[in-house]
Amino acid sequence: MFQTRNEYDRGVNTFSPEGRLFQVEYAMEAIKLGSTAVGICTPEGVVLAVEKRITSPLMVASSVEKIMEIDSHIGAAMSGLTADARTLVEHARVECQNHGFTYNESIPVLSVTQSICDMALRFGETGDDDDDDAGGMSRPFGVALLLAGWDPAEDGEEKTKPALYHTDPSGTFVKYDAKAIGSGADSAQTQLQENFKSDMTLVEAETLALSTLKAVMEEKVTSTNVEIACVAPKYKLYTVEQVEAVLARL
Amino acid sequence: MSTWSPYDMNGGTCVAVAGADYCIVAADTRLSTGFSILTREHTKVVTLSDACVLASAGFEGDRKQLHKVLGMRQQVFAHNHGGKPMSCPAMAQMLSNTLYFKRFFPYYTFNLLGGLDKSGKGAVYTYDAIGSYERTGYACQGSGQALIMPVLDNQLKSASPLLYPPVSSATPLTEAQAVDLVKDCFATAGERDIYTGDAVEIVVINRNGVRRETMPLKLD
Amino acid sequence: MSSSYGDINVSGGIGLDSESAPFNLELARRNSMIERQGMKLPRYLKTGTTICGVVYANGVVLGADTRSTNGDTVADKNCEKIHYIAPNIYCCGAGTAADTEATTNMVASALNMHRYGTNGRTSRVITALTMLKSHLFKYQGNVSAALVLGGFDINGPHLFTVYPHGSSDSLPYATMGSGSLAAMSIFEAGYKENMTKEEAMKLVADAIKSGVFNDLGSGSNVDLCIITKEGKEYLRNYECPNPRPYASQSFSFAKGTTPVLRSTMLTLKDVVVEEGADAMEVGA
Repeated sequence: MFQTRNEYDRGVNTFSPEGRLFQVEYAMEAIKLGSTAVGICTPEGVVLAVEKRITSPLMVASSVEKIMEIDSHIGAAMSGLTADARTLVEHARVECQNHGFTYNESIPVLSVTQSICDMALRFGETGDDDDDDAGGMSRPFGVALLLAGWDPAEDGEEKTKPALYHTDPSGTFVKYDAKAIGSGADSAQTQLQENFKSDMTLVEAETLALSTLKAVMEEKVTSTNVEIACVAPKYKLYTVEQVEAVLARL
Repeated sequence: MSTWSPYDMNGGTCVAVAGADYCIVAADTRLSTGFSILTREHTKVVTLSDACVLASAGFEGDRKQLHKVLGMRQQVFAHNHGGKPMSCPAMAQMLSNTLYFKRFFPYYTFNLLGGLDKSGKGAVYTYDAIGSYERTGYACQGSGQALIMPVLDNQLKSASPLLYPPVSSATPLTEAQAVDLVKDCFATAGERDIYTGDAVEIVVINRNGVRRETMPLKLD
Repeated sequence: MSSSYGDINVSGGIGLDSESAPFNLELARRNSMIERQGMKLPRYLKTGTTICGVVYANGVVLGADTRSTNGDTVADKNCEKIHYIAPNIYCCGAGTAADTEATTNMVASALNMHRYGTNGRTSRVITALTMLKSHLFKYQGNVSAALVLGGFDINGPHLFTVYPHGSSDSLPYATMGSGSLAAMSIFEAGYKENMTKEEAMKLVADAIKSGVFNDLGSGSNVDLCIITKEGKEYLRNYECPNPRPYASQSFSFAKGTTPVLRSTMLTLKDVVVEEGADAMEVGA
């Protein structure tokens, strides 16, 4: 009654007359409140780096987990409501295991991304069907993911290759060379755009990822308030020592 | 009172041979029950993709169902994975799971899966009815198995299995030599196995795609 | 010995005399007992077969395929199923190969002895029939021979079928064996009374081929036997409609196919050779 928007932002399944789904747009807003995460795809592998907001010196920093392994060749960095991301990651992990069990091969990154996005849209469902993870969700997921992975060679190609995908609460996914999400996404993306080169080494990508984070973070970058992982071609989460080694290069 | 059985044995023989850059899958086209011929021109071979061909001996009803299920799964896989067909090793694992899923009411089929692996090498997978499988260089299934397998062992395995260390089972023949051997195997099996005959369908998979040819066998 | 000719007991040979049965059944009871406990009997050759015969204007034509099977495998690709009974009588056999062979041989011997004792008079087909069916009846179907008996005697051409339990039919055209239905369909479609020899031969050959192509128990070639007043014409492999379709150009067994795992040389130096020993006696 106060604004046009208010009449249409209750139900998740209702378009506004302008053709907008407000609940989904609000979910996208939630991501803009999240900590910044960046992903850079190079021929040698994909680097993921995230900011961790350590709001109290009493917090155990290592318990904040913003990069998760999905399969031995896929990792995900998140921004937004990290609790929601856990549901998506759990779903993706099951999908990977199923694919491995059924086909005895690692799942293509595109397929995992697709499956995560299918789930992102399930907020519209009532939940009375038998699909075990349909669940009848009342709202969209308030999280965006950066999926880093390694794909098998396609027919006729010699080499396997890395891939980076971005997913958002609307269930849209796009493949990127480099992508930033979260509160500092805008300026971080500009910085990535300026500095990304298609023939970067993995080491150069690590440096670019951290320098980008450093530029958008309010606090000083330390080995406790960032997380780094890479897929090259297996997923590896960096140890504190490895993060410090990257920091030393900045 | 004789009890009804959900199964029948419709005879027939399948052979598959893998080479360095090709794979041959062959099966006769006779379909029989007891001492009667049901039809002389029925295929036991299904082409699942450009790199994957399946031949099954056993019960025709289960074979037809299994081939349809696999064809369907192949399509769904392609839809879900960017339009790319399942690779031959992936199909091999999926077939095993499909068979094991019916562990206690099995598909009465004895399968040979042939094709090219991701590196373009010939691959043959041989199965039992409930999904136990193995990748080999060559294999034979069905009513003529006991007649053909020793010939394949002799002609394709360069060394005796008694030798230690074991020697690779990959076949050293050229594609033309292997086709010739397969034809000879079926001509021979057709002489002695009453369920093998009428014609043999030979499917050759190589980097140029899938090629089918047919050779007549004895009709008696 | 009620029915012997000369010194040889003929009835014993074909089992008309119960005191001298041709089979030793001493262990039958023991065998059936251990069979119930799970012993597997040896498998024997069964001629999954097409045999048939037809009477025409002045004779009989008998026909048979030449496949002999052992379960699912072909044991003999070119066996003979038209057996000699007498110069003017032949008999096609289906069932267990050993039974058809032995039964027809016994009757052939008995008829031969009968001719010795009856001034060489031509044997009659019903004599052969009676001997066959009484033998088969005595063994209650355990002698599994299904026969098509044909011949020409003083009463003209005859054609009979004999079943394993000893019953028989006298027919103008007859089929037996696993291909009997396929063959009979040809007879029912093409039989005429008073056919010529050529018509009869073609009909019989077609009937056999119908069995050869449509019955998995029958196969390979067609044998014919034509019996007339003048004598018999045995046409072995009258038709060969199943040549091998393909033979490899290069089929060889590589040297070393059988690996030498170990070799040992034995010297003969320790063998003592006895000089001047007596040569072995050979013959009388």
